[in-house]
Formats: sequence, C-alpha cells, structure tokens
Amino acid sequence: MGNKQTIFTSQQLDAYQDCTYFTRKEILRLFHRYRDLAPQLVPLDYTAGPDVRLPYELIGSMPELKDNPFRQRIAEVFSEDGEGNMTLDDFLDMFSVLSEMAPRDLKAYYAFKIYDFNNDDFICRSDLEKTLNRLTRNELTEDEVRMVCEKVIDEADLDNDGRLSLEDFQHMIVRAPDFLSTFHIRI
Amino acid sequence: MMELREFNNQVHPTPDYPSPYGSQHSLRLRTVPPQETSAVQFDWASPPEDAEDSNEPPNLRELPLHMGLKRAVWQVQQMKIPVVSSSWNIKQSQTFRRFCEVAKHVLSYFVLWKRGIQKIGGHFGGGVQSYFLFLRFLVILNFLSSLLIAGFVLIPSIVFRSMNFNSTIPTTVNLTGVEICLQYDPKPDTLMVFITYFLDLISGTGFMEYSYLFYGYYTNFNSMVESNGFSYNIPLAYLLTAAFYFLFCFICMIIRMGGTARVAVVTGGGATGGYSALVFTGWDHGLQEDRTTKLKQSNFRYRLQVDLEEERLKKKSASLTLSQTVSLYALRVFLNMVVLILIGATFYGIAKATQFSQLMKTTGFKGLVLQYLPSMVITASNFVVPLLCDKIALLEKYSASTTVILALLRAVFLRLVSLGVLLYTLWEQITCEGDISKQNCIPCNYYYDEYKCWETRVGQEMYKLTLFDFLITIATLILVEFPRRIVVDHCSCKLTQWVGRQEFLVAPNVLALVYSQTVVWTGALFCPLLPFINTIKFILFYFCKKITLFQNCQPATRNFRSTTSNFFFLLVLLFGWMLATMVLLYSVTKIHPSYGCGPFRFSPTMWEVVPQAAEMLNSTSAEFLFYMGSQKFSIPLFIFSCVLLCYVSALTSVHGKSVALLKSQCKLEQRDKQFLVRQIEELNATVQKEQREPQQPQRETDTATRWNQHDNYAFDRDEDPRPY
Repeated sequence: MGNKQTIFTSQQLDAYQDCTYFTRKEILRLFHRYRDLAPQLVPLDYTAGPDVRLPYELIGSMPELKDNPFRQRIAEVFSEDGEGNMTLDDFLDMFSVLSEMAPRDLKAYYAFKIYDFNNDDFICRSDLEKTLNRLTRNELTEDEVRMVCEKVIDEADLDNDGRLSLEDFQHMIVRAPDFLSTFHIRI
Repeated sequence: MMELREFNNQVHPTPDYPSPYGSQHSLRLRTVPPQETSAVQFDWASPPEDAEDSNEPPNLRELPLHMGLKRAVWQVQQMKIPVVSSSWNIKQSQTFRRFCEVAKHVLSYFVLWKRGIQKIGGHFGGGVQSYFLFLRFLVILNFLSSLLIAGFVLIPSIVFRSMNFNSTIPTTVNLTGVEICLQYDPKPDTLMVFITYFLDLISGTGFMEYSYLFYGYYTNFNSMVESNGFSYNIPLAYLLTAAFYFLFCFICMIIRMGGTARVAVVTGGGATGGYSALVFTGWDHGLQEDRTTKLKQSNFRYRLQVDLEEERLKKKSASLTLSQTVSLYALRVFLNMVVLILIGATFYGIAKATQFSQLMKTTGFKGLVLQYLPSMVITASNFVVPLLCDKIALLEKYSASTTVILALLRAVFLRLVSLGVLLYTLWEQITCEGDISKQNCIPCNYYYDEYKCWETRVGQEMYKLTLFDFLITIATLILVEFPRRIVVDHCSCKLTQWVGRQEFLVAPNVLALVYSQTVVWTGALFCPLLPFINTIKFILFYFCKKITLFQNCQPATRNFRSTTSNFFFLLVLLFGWMLATMVLLYSVTKIHPSYGCGPFRFSPTMWEVVPQAAEMLNSTSAEFLFYMGSQKFSIPLFIFSCVLLCYVSALTSVHGKSVALLKSQCKLEQRDKQFLVRQIEELNATVQKEQREPQQPQRETDTATRWNQHDNYAFDRDEDPRPY
C-alpha cells in the first residue's frame, strides 16, 4: 500500500484502522464522502487534526440517511455533542458500527441508545410510543399503539420494572435472527 | 461482552461504602453516605478479577466509546508496546490481521454480482434479496458441475473421437437374438430446410440428437493407446461423474442449510418474542429512497394490524361454540378434498398428454406443438392451480401465517409431483410398465420399436422442459409485466389502480428455480450438457429478473421472514434432489441400457461397469471393494450409523438443555438483583427515617450494641454507628 495520500499521517490511518472495521481504502473513501457534504468547510489536510464539525442538516441529507425515520436519533447518538453535529471521527464511528462486520453486542448497545429517546438508559413506554410512531408514520390508532407497547414490554421486560434495560434489550436481540442484517447501512 | 461490562463499571461505579456481607456491623446499622440516592446502581455482572494476561490488547473496535476516547486508548497502547516483553507477538498478530483484511478485501472482488445484489437489497428489502442470493448459489453450483462433467466426460470423449478410435464390442457379451436392437441411425439428412433446423434446435431431435448434448453420442471407448500404458474407461467415468455430481450438490446444499439452521436453532425458531423483535429489529436501516421507506412503513402498520387481528381471531375462535367449530372443520376437510381433486385432475392431464405426445408422429409445426404438450400442460397447471388454491385458502379461515405456509406446501407438492408423474408415464412406456415379458419388450427388455435409444429420449424431454420454462419466463416478462406497468402508469382509471403494479412475489419465484434445478438433476445423466445450459439460463434469469424488478415492480406490501424461509427453500431443493436421485438409482440399476447407443450398450445394466472395472484392480483392492459392496458389510455399517445418530442426538439434547438452563438462570439472576435492590431501598428508607428521629434510635443503639457485643467480640463500643 503506497503512502501516496497526504490527507492523514500514517499513524492516524493506523489508528482509524484499529478503531473501526474499515480498511485504509474505505477510510479514505469515507473521508471523501464526508468532504463532499461540505467541501468548503472540510480541509483536505487532516494531519493536524482540525476540529471541523458538520451540522446535522448536512448529515441528515446523505442519501443513505435522508429517508431513515431514525436518522436524527442515529446522528445524536454518534455525535460527541449529542446534537447531531458530527466530526469526521463521529462519522467514521457511525458507519463502522452500522457496517456488516460489527458484532451483535456492539450493535445492540448502540441500537438501545438510539431507541432511548429521553437518554435515561431505559426504554420506557414513551420511548416505545415514539419508536412505533416513527415506524408506522403515525398511522396506528391510540388503542393499537397502546396494545403493541404493552405486548412489547410484556415480552421483553425480564425484571418486571415496566421498562427495558440494556440487559433486557440484549437478551431480546439474541433471539431475533434478523437483527444483524437489518441494523446495517451500506456505504 | 467483557469490554461492555467494564464500560458499565466505568459509567456506574460501585458505591463506596462497606459491603453488607463482609462487615461486622448489622445490616440495620449500616452507614450510608448522605449523597446516596435510592437509585442504587450495582454492577452484579462485573466479572471477578481473574488472572488475565494483560498482554492481550483489548479489541478497540468492539468498545462502545466515542472515537476520540478510542484513539486515546490506542495511543496509550502504542506507547505501552515497546515496554511489554512479548511485543513481537503483538506486532505479528497485528500484521497478520491486516493481511487477513486485505485478503478478504481482494477476495470480495471475486464474489459474483455483489454490488447488484446489494442494490436490490437496499431498494426492495431482505426477502427479494434472498431470492437473488439463492439464484447466485444455483448459478455457481451449476457452473462447477458443468466444469466437472466437461473435465471428466466431455473432453475425453472429444479427444478420443478425434483420434478416430473404434468402439469395440467386448468378447464376453452374447449378442444372439438381439441384433434387431442394435439398429439405431439418427444421423440427419445433410440437406435441411431452415425451419427444420430451428425445430430440431428447440426439440433436441435431428442434428441435435446425435451430438454431445445427449447420451446417445458417447461410446464405450475402453482401452486406449497401449504403448503409453494409459487407459481411460469412458463408461466408468460417465457413471462415476454422475454419482459424484449428485454427491457434490448434496454436500453444497447441506453446508448452506447448516448455516441457516444454526441461526434458527439458536434463536429458538423465532416464534416467541414476536412483537418486541418486530419493533426493534424489523426496520431495515439499509433501505434508501423515499418511496421504499413509505412503503415499508405501510408494511409495518399492516403487519402490526394483522398480528393484532390474529390475536383477536384466536381469542374469538377459542370461544367458538361446538357447532361452529364442527362446521368450520367440516368446511376445511371439504376444501382440502377439493384441492386434492384439483391436483389429481392435473396429474391425470399430464399423464394423458405425455402418452399422447410420445405416440404421435407428425412433423413440422404441429409435431413441435405435440412434442411440447407435456411441458405446456405442466406449466399451465403450475400457473392456474396455485391461484385457485389461494382463493380456496381464503375460505378456510386460517390465520395469515398458516395460510402462507399451506399455499407454499401445496405449490411445492404440485410442482414436484407433476414432474414425477411425467417421469412415471415415460417409464411406463419405455419398460412396458415394468413387465419385460410383454409383447413389445421381448427381445431388448425395453420398448424397442418406439425407443431405439430411450436414454436420449428421456434427455430430450428434460431438455424441452428446461427450454420451455425459460421461454415462458421471458414471454411473461415481455408480454405481461411490461405492458402491465405501461397500462398502470399511463391509464388512471379505477380498475388499473386497483390492480396496481406488479409485486415481486418471492415464494413462487423460488419454487420455479427449485423446479428447474430438479429437472436438470433428473436429466443430467441423459443429457450431460444440461448443467451448462442451465448455468446460462440462470445467468440470463438474473439479468431479466433484475430488469423487471427495477422497471416494473413495487416492493412487497407483505413482509417476508427471510431467515426461516431460506431454510425452507433449501429443504424443498433437497426434496427435488431426492426425487432426482431416485430416478438416477432406478435407471442405473434396473433398466437395460439401449443396445444401439451410448457407452453402456453392452452391459446388462449401467451399474455393471463398476464391478467389471473393480475386477481389473489388483486382488486386495478388488477384494476390499467387493466386501464393501456385499451384504455382509451392511450390518456393521448400519450399526455404525446408528451409533453416530445416537451420539449426535444426545449432543443436541444436551445443548438444548443447557441453553434452556442458561436462559432460566438469566431470568433468575434478574429477579435476584431486583429483590436485593428492593431490600437495599427499604433499608435506605429505614435508615433515613432513623436519621430524622434522633431520639428513638439511641435506646435501640444501646440494645443493639449489647446484642452485637454479645455476638461480635470484635465490636468496638467507641465507634458510633450513627451517620455523620
């Protein structure tokens, strides 16, 4: 692999390779995708580690994310400031976790955080209702939403506290065979 | 998982006060730091500090930290490495890991149609993608099989034929009385009209019949250039290649089934936890495009409403009166009979069509239609009968999921058994219904007058089936799907909007693939180039189906459970394989090969070449092989397979039990944790109450002190147990 690129130092590329599931080529390709969102904001030279943060509106307009009903939550979870404004690090982290090579436990951890709308480390009934509304575009009746939330908590809540903790969530994910293929964004 | 627990520890540190178990203070008098709230977070799941080798670097990618933190940890690791003594090991494992990644990246270029199938998955979801993955699997299987057959049968035949060897009649064969059977002259006229050329091409007769395509062209070149000491036994190669081809397909299918079955077993079939799994894992984040996501959202709503409706129906049906239940079951039995009669009528139609077409002898276009009559009847029935079955199933009032499974089972039954009926009719005619003492079968043990070379005829039938299947698919594409889209898009009357755009239904398409593959397996012995033709056919299928998918279809409104269905489709493919194997075994061991054509013409059955060849080996190997084939060997073989079966089933039950045990242990741990947390909360409450009432506890403390002094000699009276 020739070191013809001047965007990153080789130490930075090594760090990225060890911290994500991407190869050198893919990291460079993702950098160019990131840069294409705002070429005037993102410099071509990252060797000094500049602090460039793209606003959420640009991230949410990517073709891979723009029609995903959970795109705002995904951006909030992976961004350092929690508002959805992402640095290149956050960007790489996000797509690394959402790639097909990430293990189930890691994906389950982040999926839990995405579905936890109020960030209280539990998926409570209001979080579930918000999730359902996003999934069905608000087209279910109140009654149906209530029934489905009850059923979900019945099935998954093992410690009977009326809300889902991370352990409950992970336990339920183990029994869902499709999780790895659905919690996956190709880029 | 270890890393996640460590992380949990960092986020929720264990509270810093004396643990209730180790101290000498009683539980009631335990001190509590004033800032402690009732939301106590214990990390019971933290593993004990075992003597892990700290040389093993934690896999940074699996840590759920922000990238900045990960890079900091990485830098610390990089600085630590020169100090640790086994740094060379770590560097080596790192370079090895990098090499593996690069290798995987390079190999991914060789995966057939990777980008195309990914794009399909992105636009249409996992169900449609599973159809294309299945198609790709079959293309690769057929391609490798055709390489196998080409290498061992086709190329040697071409080489030997071009070297002008004459086929020899072995001296051991007695040919008196059967001279009439030896006559077979399929060589076509040299002057041909173009239309005859075309008709021959698509029906496998004429110039196509006496070619490498069919069994009849291969001869029994047996002993080769003696000076080189090289001999190649074509009949043996032909038979063993066919056997190995079947075995190879079987192994590939089993390996692929193993992968899907493992997932199904681990998740317990996925029947429980339906709603939670649907809500949290049902959304495919890889979907792009506004239209697709809107449709997926409607699909979700539909699915949830259907599930809730099913629950309501179940509750209702559980409360049906006796008379209603009886009438429902009577209706179901009646409708099942109707379905069976329908299918029976189809089989009768196929049998009659086959008999008719075999016996008629007209040429030209009418002859072509007659030749294709069985294929047409089979295709028509495969189209009409499932439609009728679907309508009937609606009347049977099963739940939605049962209806789908029942429809699939009926369609599978129809397709595979109709092929079986065709083969049975052929067999009836060729072997005079198995009775070789009938008038027609007397000299040659098969119906000589009609079938001078019966293997080629069977091969031709399979060739026609394959070709017709392909033509019908292309015709449907051009004549039905494209016009439908054009009509729906440009004409906005109510009828067209109700009919709507074509939906890509996965199950019927996969069953069509299974049917084609079964036809190829059945015909491979009689038409060695059929796997190669099938490879090209499936490759064209891929491109045609992809085009029609993107141009004409809308995403499915009903959800499709891809993981369990993958296993089901492979199971159906296995049934098709078994049908083909039965045909192979029967024709190899029971029916007399044609005298006039083929590599086996001078053996009583096709199988005979194997013992003949085994005899020619040196005595120990020959003896060993004969022992393996004899009946004496079957007893130890049977006992051995029984032992193996018992072992594997015992292993399965042990694993199943341990899985159930671990699951219940999980639940128990959660309940224990909850119980202890409640206890601690109660204690917190009582201690805080005691804080507010300083008078009362004084007396209690004295009594408690005396009590404790009684028990615990090491208790220090000076220590004030009251909080600060």
